[in-house]
Amino acid sequence: MSSIKSLMPSGARTMLSICRPPLRQGSMAAPLFGYQQVRGKASASQQKTKKFKEKGKVEKKKKGPKNYDQIDLSQMMQFSLCDAMRYIRAFEAGRSPEATKYEVHIRLKSKRDGPVIRNMIRFPHSVQTESRICVICPPNSRIAKEALAAGAVLVGEEEVFEAVKNGRIEFDRCLCHPDSVDAMNKAGMGRILGPRGLMPNAKMGTIVEDVASRVEDLRGGTVYRERDAVVRLAIGQLAFSPEQLRDNLRTVVDQVKKDASAITDKFTKEVYEVVLSSTHGPGLSLTGDFTSDSSPDPAVLTGA
Amino acid sequence: MPNLWKRLHKLKALLDVRIGTGAATLPSAATATKEFPAITRLHLTYARKIYGGHQGARHFWRNCLPRLKYHNPAIPMTVKQTTDQEGPATLTIYFSENLSRTASANAINVTDQHAPTPSGTEKTTVINLKNLTYTDIWHNLKALTGAEEVSPTVAEQAELKKVEEMQLKAVADRKRVADIRQAKKDQEKMLEQARGEVAKLRQS
Repeated sequence: MSSIKSLMPSGARTMLSICRPPLRQGSMAAPLFGYQQVRGKASASQQKTKKFKEKGKVEKKKKGPKNYDQIDLSQMMQFSLCDAMRYIRAFEAGRSPEATKYEVHIRLKSKRDGPVIRNMIRFPHSVQTESRICVICPPNSRIAKEALAAGAVLVGEEEVFEAVKNGRIEFDRCLCHPDSVDAMNKAGMGRILGPRGLMPNAKMGTIVEDVASRVEDLRGGTVYRERDAVVRLAIGQLAFSPEQLRDNLRTVVDQVKKDASAITDKFTKEVYEVVLSSTHGPGLSLTGDFTSDSSPDPAVLTGA
Repeated sequence: MPNLWKRLHKLKALLDVRIGTGAATLPSAATATKEFPAITRLHLTYARKIYGGHQGARHFWRNCLPRLKYHNPAIPMTVKQTTDQEGPATLTIYFSENLSRTASANAINVTDQHAPTPSGTEKTTVINLKNLTYTDIWHNLKALTGAEEVSPTVAEQAELKKVEEMQLKAVADRKRVADIRQAKKDQEKMLEQARGEVAKLRQS
């Protein structure tokens, strides 16, 4: 994969990383609760130099629109949850009910600059089929025992390095305890794990003291963030019943609303539109109702 | 998110799922007759590539299965795509208790190893799909199950007509835009040529 990547233009490379399986994407999980990244804000020093350069010049800066466009929802076709599920299940006919996922796209009313929503969520009904986690830490220590108890599949130092060097990478995420960082670097793991996006890194929040709680978070949590004023994430398997999907959807929308209100009052954000989509299906805007007059019995909208 | 018109245009696909070949309700427990008992399940198996007569089966999955699923949300429909081009392309129909009269006349001895095993009361019949087009497959399925086709409502007919008109207009528009682009290209070519001639004159 790395060789292909290096041959591509940078744009294509980012595309590739977007196309990576969703499990891996989660490895970006960082302990970012409460931390807000500011978009489009130049650092103070940068601004200074710019001002200095432009001194004397009377140049009008071209400014784009301040807010993201808001479409007029009165023109949009909207559906109740069960109707949308009926259509999506028709489009996904014959696909694997576990691998195919329902997705939700939450459109926000937001300014183009300012903080973005970025958080982690735990669903009442788990979306991902079990993700396997590897923990690099001193073997037979208290940390190792806790990590195993929390559900890590592979724990240790030497044995992990051996397995990785032999090409047996049987995990989706990798964590590391600060005590083992030197050992890991010495073993040259970066060369193998790096291109796969599995290399533990303090910035990603994958080198942590409290390994056990992190393992628990990673097993049940999904990371989401706002891009161009839309939060997108998978919220259920195709086999889910409408009730299960409703529970997950409610959790997501509530939490995004909470995130939005937690942002400082200089920037207001609110949920504008909720769109239900799926792996292969179209995006259907939701009305917020569970059923409509013409929708089928919710009990039949499950399984294959 | 794409703009509203792009999104609305995409949603024309919904009309395509509601009506067309395969838009029909299969007999359910409520509408079953003695001649055509209720359908409990459908299973389709075919190979990944089209050669060896698998094309129709694949098209059936692409075109008809979504429509069937839309009108019969309660019936599980599964598809198995194999890599064995020599292998069978079959559609297995599961009847709730007895085979329909037409299905019992259809007896062929092809079995599909990928199809889920029928439960105690279910009876199955198999259609061999090799070298059939998807419309043929649909007519076979309809004859065997007694499916009732859903005809488009007045509103849907109007929408269909609109889509057709848009397609016709698209042909004209494509031609118009192609002409504009060609004219622009011709102009540039002419200018380029003229410049070349000037350069030649200067050199000589």
